[in-house]
Amino acid sequence: MNLGDFDDDSCLIYGIGNVGRQDDGLGWAFVDWLEAQGRCPSAQLQRSYQLLIEDADLISTKRRVLFVDATKDESVTSFELRRPAPRMDFTFTSHAISVPAIMATCEQCFGCLPEVYVLAIRGFEFGLAMGLTRAAQRNLDIVTACLSSPGRVGNATTATTGGTRPHRTAAVSSDSHR
Amino acid sequence: MSKKLVIDPVTRVEGHGKVTVHLDDDGNVVDARLHVVEFRGFEKFVQGHPYWEAPMLMQRICGICFVSHHLCGAKVLDDMIGAGTAAEVRVTRTAEKIRRLGHYAQMLQSHATAYFYLVVPEMMFGMDAAPEQRNLLGLIEANPELMRRVIMLRKWGQEVIKTVFGRRMHGINSVPGGVDKNLSRAECDRLLDGEEGLASFDDVMDYAQDGLRLFYDFHEKHRRQVDGFAKVPALNMCLVDADGNVDYYHGALRIVDENRRIVREFDYHDYLDHFSEAVEPWSYMKFPFLKDLGREEGSVRVGPLARMNVTNSLSTPLAQEALERFHAYTGGSPNNMTLHTNWARAIEVLHAAELIGELLRDPELHGDDLVVTPGDDAWVGEGIGVVEAPRGTLLHHYRAGVGGDITFANLIVATTHNNQVLNRTVRSVAEDYLVGHGEITEAMMNAIEVGIRAFDPCLSCATHALGQMPLIVTVHGPAGDVVDERVRS
Repeated sequence: MNLGDFDDDSCLIYGIGNVGRQDDGLGWAFVDWLEAQGRCPSAQLQRSYQLLIEDADLISTKRRVLFVDATKDESVTSFELRRPAPRMDFTFTSHAISVPAIMATCEQCFGCLPEVYVLAIRGFEFGLAMGLTRAAQRNLDIVTACLSSPGRVGNATTATTGGTRPHRTAAVSSDSHR
Repeated sequence: MSKKLVIDPVTRVEGHGKVTVHLDDDGNVVDARLHVVEFRGFEKFVQGHPYWEAPMLMQRICGICFVSHHLCGAKVLDDMIGAGTAAEVRVTRTAEKIRRLGHYAQMLQSHATAYFYLVVPEMMFGMDAAPEQRNLLGLIEANPELMRRVIMLRKWGQEVIKTVFGRRMHGINSVPGGVDKNLSRAECDRLLDGEEGLASFDDVMDYAQDGLRLFYDFHEKHRRQVDGFAKVPALNMCLVDADGNVDYYHGALRIVDENRRIVREFDYHDYLDHFSEAVEPWSYMKFPFLKDLGREEGSVRVGPLARMNVTNSLSTPLAQEALERFHAYTGGSPNNMTLHTNWARAIEVLHAAELIGELLRDPELHGDDLVVTPGDDAWVGEGIGVVEAPRGTLLHHYRAGVGGDITFANLIVATTHNNQVLNRTVRSVAEDYLVGHGEITEAMMNAIEVGIRAFDPCLSCATHALGQMPLIVTVHGPAGDVVDERVRS
C-alpha cells in the first residue's frame, strides 16, 4: 500500500482519537499531516472521537478505507498496518465498536465491503492533556516517512510493522486504548 | 448465611457502577443498592474557567447527550448575562427554535441508540438469551434490514445535529443570549428531501415508527413479563408548558403522584427551595428528594416514562395517537411498569421526529435576529438552566465572579434524579429473582441489568466522571459475607 492508492474520491482516510488525551490524538495528527503536506487531496478525510455504527454506512460508499488510530499494544514498535477481516466480535457499546464489526455491519446491512486497512500507531500516554508525547511524535514521523517513500508498505494480506519488529497479523481493536 | 452477587460490569450501561443485594438468614431480600463508584469531577474543575466556556466544557461529560449539557449550560449563561428567563428576557424566536431543533435531534438519535441498539436485542432474543446473541451485533445478523433502517434514522438525526452545531459530536452553536448561526432554506430542504446516502424526512418518519411497532409486537407476545417486571411506584417529574404538556426545552417543573395529582409545580430557578440531596457512603451519586416529603416519599422519577405520565397530551399527531394508547393502558393513571419505559421511549422517538419536521418547515429558522445582548449593567453572574434531556430532567447551576470566572457549579442529571427509583427497581428485581434460590443464575444477572438499563442510566453523567470506570453489582447476607460472586466483563 502507499498513499497514492488513496488519492481519489472513492477513498476515505479516517483518523480516530481525542487530541485532548495526549497520544490518543495520533489518528487526528496523521490526518493533520496529510492536510499540511497536501497528500491525498482527493480523498475524503475524517476525524472522529470514536467509531460509530453509522460508520458502516459511511464506508459502504467507498472503495478503499484507511482507519488510523493510536494503539497501546506494546508489541507494536512504532506502527502497524494490517488488513482486518469483517467479524461480529461483540465489542459494541454506544461509545465504541471495532473496525471488524463496522466492516461486518457494512457487509450485512449494505451488501458491500470496501478494501479496509488499519494503521495503528503506538502511543504511550493517554491522560487529560493536549499534545503528543515525544515518543508518539517520533512514531508518527516514522510512519509518515515510510508512507512518503516511493516503495509500498505492507501488502494485501499481511500486516507490516515499523521499526524492527517482524510482521504479524494480530488484530488491533480500534478502541484498544480505551 | 450471607450471600453476595457481583456483576462487573453491568453491560450496555454508560459508565460504571455496582449493585449489591442484601439477604437475610432465610434468603429474603432486605435491601438492594445501586452504587456508583465513579469519580465526580466536572463541577469542580470547571471552577476558575470563564463562564462562557461552561457549555463547551460541560458537554464533554458525555458522548451521547452532549447537546443537552450544551443547551442547559447555554440557558444558564442566558441568565448570567441578563438575557434569560430569570430576568424575564427570552432569546429571540429564531435562536430558541434553532436550539430546539438541535435538542429534538439529539432526543431522536440518543433514544434511537438506547432503544434499538441496547434494548431491542433483548426484545428480539429474550432476556435469557446468551449475551453473544443478545446484543446489537446479534441483531444485525438476525435482521440486517431493520438495522439498516435504524442506522439511517440515527445518521439523519446526527446530520441534523451537525447542521445545527457544526459537528455531529461536541459542536457549538449556542452562545450567551442566543445562537451564532441560523439555518438556510437549502440546509432545511436537504434534511427534508434527503440525498444520496441521507434519508428523506418521509423515510425518517417511517423508520421512527419501527420502535413502536417492535414494542407493540413484543408486548403482545410477552405481556405478563413486560407488565410484571419491576413495578415501582414513584412521583413523576418533567418540564411542562402552560397547558401541562411536556416541553423538552423549557417550562415549569411539574411533579405528579400516583393518581396524577399535581403535588408540586414551580419555576426551576427555585429548585433549591424544593429539593435537597441525600448522600450515602456507598455511592458517589446523590439522592435528590423533595424537602418537605423526605427521601422515601419525595424522590422522583424522570425520563421518558415520567414524561408520558406527566403530560396531558403531545403536540404532534402520530405521537399523540401513541400517547392515547399508552394512557389508556393504565386507565389514565401513571404507569409504574419499568419496562414500559421502552414504550415511552419509542413514543418520544416519534414525537422528536415530528417536532423536527415541523421546525424544518418553519421559516423562522432562517431569521437573522440571533442574539440578545443586554448591557453590562444587566450582568447577573448567576444562572440556572433546565432541559428535558433524553434520560430526563437535567439541571445546571453556575455562579461567576465579577471577572466572569466560574466560582460555583452544581449539576443534577437525570440519572441522579432517578437514583432512588433505580435502587427500588434493583430491589424489586432481586426480590423476584433471588428469593428462594441458593445460587446466582444467569437469568438473575440479566434481569438486574435489564431493570437498570430501562432507565438508560448514564453513570458517567451522574458523577461527571473522568475516564472510564466499571460497574460492579454485589449481593450481601446479614453478616455481610460473600456467598456467591459473578463477574461479567
